[in-house]
Amino acid sequence: MAKKASNYLTLRESRKIISYNLKQMKYYEGLKRRKRSAEEYTTVMKDENNLLEIEDLKTCFFTDSGTVMSVNGVSFNVPKNKVVGVVGESGCGKSVTSLSVMQLVQAPQGQVVGGQIRFNTDALGYDEEGRKICYDIVQMPTRQMYSIRGKDITMIFQEPMTSLNPVFTIGSQLDEVSFLLDPKISKEAAKEKSIEMLRKVGISMPEHTYTCYPHELSGGMRQRVMIAMALAGNPKLIIADEPTTALDVTIQAQILELLRELQKSQGCSIMLITHDLGVIAEMADEVVIMYAGRIIERGTAREIFHNPLHPYTVGLQKSKPLITSKTGEPLYSIPGQVPNPINLPNSCYFKNRCEKCIAKCGGDYPPEIRVSDTHAVSCWLYQQGEDAE
Amino acid sequence: MFKYIVKRLLISIVILLGVSIIIYTLVRLMPTDFLTQKYAAQLQTNPGFVEQFEKFKEMYGLADNSFGGIMSGYFQWLGNMLKGDMGTSFIYQKPVSSIIGENMWISFAIAAIATVLQFLIAIPLGITSATHQYSVRDYATTVLTMIGISLPTYFFAAIVIKFFAMDLGWFPNTGLVSPSKDFPATFAGTMAKIGDMAHHLVLPIFVSVLLSIGGLMRYTRTNTLEVLNADYIRTARAKGLSERKVIYKHAFRNTLIPLATLLAGILPSLFGGMLITEQVFGINGIGGLAYKALQQGDIPFIMGYNMFLAVLTVIGTLLSDIMYSIVDPRVKLGK
Repeated sequence: MAKKASNYLTLRESRKIISYNLKQMKYYEGLKRRKRSAEEYTTVMKDENNLLEIEDLKTCFFTDSGTVMSVNGVSFNVPKNKVVGVVGESGCGKSVTSLSVMQLVQAPQGQVVGGQIRFNTDALGYDEEGRKICYDIVQMPTRQMYSIRGKDITMIFQEPMTSLNPVFTIGSQLDEVSFLLDPKISKEAAKEKSIEMLRKVGISMPEHTYTCYPHELSGGMRQRVMIAMALAGNPKLIIADEPTTALDVTIQAQILELLRELQKSQGCSIMLITHDLGVIAEMADEVVIMYAGRIIERGTAREIFHNPLHPYTVGLQKSKPLITSKTGEPLYSIPGQVPNPINLPNSCYFKNRCEKCIAKCGGDYPPEIRVSDTHAVSCWLYQQGEDAE
Repeated sequence: MFKYIVKRLLISIVILLGVSIIIYTLVRLMPTDFLTQKYAAQLQTNPGFVEQFEKFKEMYGLADNSFGGIMSGYFQWLGNMLKGDMGTSFIYQKPVSSIIGENMWISFAIAAIATVLQFLIAIPLGITSATHQYSVRDYATTVLTMIGISLPTYFFAAIVIKFFAMDLGWFPNTGLVSPSKDFPATFAGTMAKIGDMAHHLVLPIFVSVLLSIGGLMRYTRTNTLEVLNADYIRTARAKGLSERKVIYKHAFRNTLIPLATLLAGILPSLFGGMLITEQVFGINGIGGLAYKALQQGDIPFIMGYNMFLAVLTVIGTLLSDIMYSIVDPRVKLGK
């Protein structure tokens, strides 16, 4: 039995998983469909200066080979007018976190099973104790979600090549946003607004681009269109899911600069998801490092870059190619592989790849240890004293 | 665009020539011919008839079955065809064009109604079963349409006749009009006749729609599923569009693209008649006639009918290519 590969399932096991999944999916879909009063999906902000507070978010996928905890108890805040970078390797749950905020997790396999996502809104005012009332996106019914999705929170996706609908013109896709925001707007006004948006994101011939189909534009142009679409609603929060991954380096720099500029001028926050530390260094005020569905370290960009604590963060920085590194020397890579996301043990997920592994790592999952006011890390190495639990 | 269409039409002339050569040669190479079948009895009983029979064969142009003979027969047919004469049917002793013209419309009426119904039912079914993938609705439609695909027409038609026509007596089981009824030539009479015809057509249309929904529904379902997983659908949702708009505007326009290719096959099937259905329900449509002509070796009619279908197929393909460029802006014709 010990020899059995962990990803091999007997027929009985897989049948058990499938029936378990069906039950779970039905349960969570039912939860989503039930009628909710406003009290159920509103709560109060912990800190009024935050735009978004994610607390203990759990999102999982019910797959045929078992339940995958893609996001496993993630908590972080996005302050107003700040750029928060979320870094991690592929499959660490950073995209799923952002999709959970948008309520766009692929249902019914993917479900948000716990936690809170508090979104600061001015629409609800304050409660008797003077705390600001906000939305809890996890509990929000889809119908209610339409009032903030695309308006207060917008999203820029990774693949500009496939993220625009190929059969509609750029213009009609942009106009759609204007019509959503203001159903009574005239066609001409919508067009004018769309062209204005295109000009804002630095497209040189906006009138011409307005009539183009997506396939007639280059990748960088399409990403600009995506950004224009995301900005059209004057959002408070833009989620940029690897906005520059599919673009070449020169275009990358332009797009990042554009995002930064627009963030400053519009006064919105950006949640920037990337695996590129260079992008983070350029853009982010605060950084969150994720590994296998959990946050392992967070802090200001300065802290993360100058004083990385978690061995994984250190490894990430070492594996970044630098123009000053010696030629001929192989690039550093973190040894080992990400653990199988199904049935993860309740101990540090990184311990098998870690160079500084200590005896305690075999035990419970490390708690978040505060190093400074802004800097926190989940690693046993930094626990002070033996019994300071 | 115009240049492209002209080019395609010129190419299709070559295609039609090739098709006609193949069909003509095949028909002539059939082991028996119209006259042998017709005079089989006389040939056996009366040995003196052979001489006259040879003369008949000469008259019908069926005497010489060598390569040269077939070719000369073909060119004779082609020459007449170019003059606009499709020849005279052996069986009916009437011009082929008038036989097709007379019998085409009833087949067309059945096929047109059936096709419209088929699209109206299959496309929404396909879309809902895609948007509710793996739900009870999805499984139910899939199983039912699969049954539809797998049932042979003659078998299902027979069951339908037994159940609805014989046992329940709701619909007549054969023919196009009730032979016992008399319809006066007034307006009211004509209306009554049309009503009677419609009553007769319910079952054949029902059978052909039910049996053809499956393919189209599965096709729509697969396409919709593929489109729904596309990135631009996620973008549309992220924009804040309602689910209705996401599916019926953004997804549906993209599902239409592969469906446009299906148009190529529709045109010939609209006019070509439904061979088996017409046979089972005893309707004298063009499909039934073609079946009879093929059995008896009626060369002018077979040629006329098949060329008619070939022309429709060529036009249908051209139309579907043009449609393709309309629904998909990425496709540019004439490059």
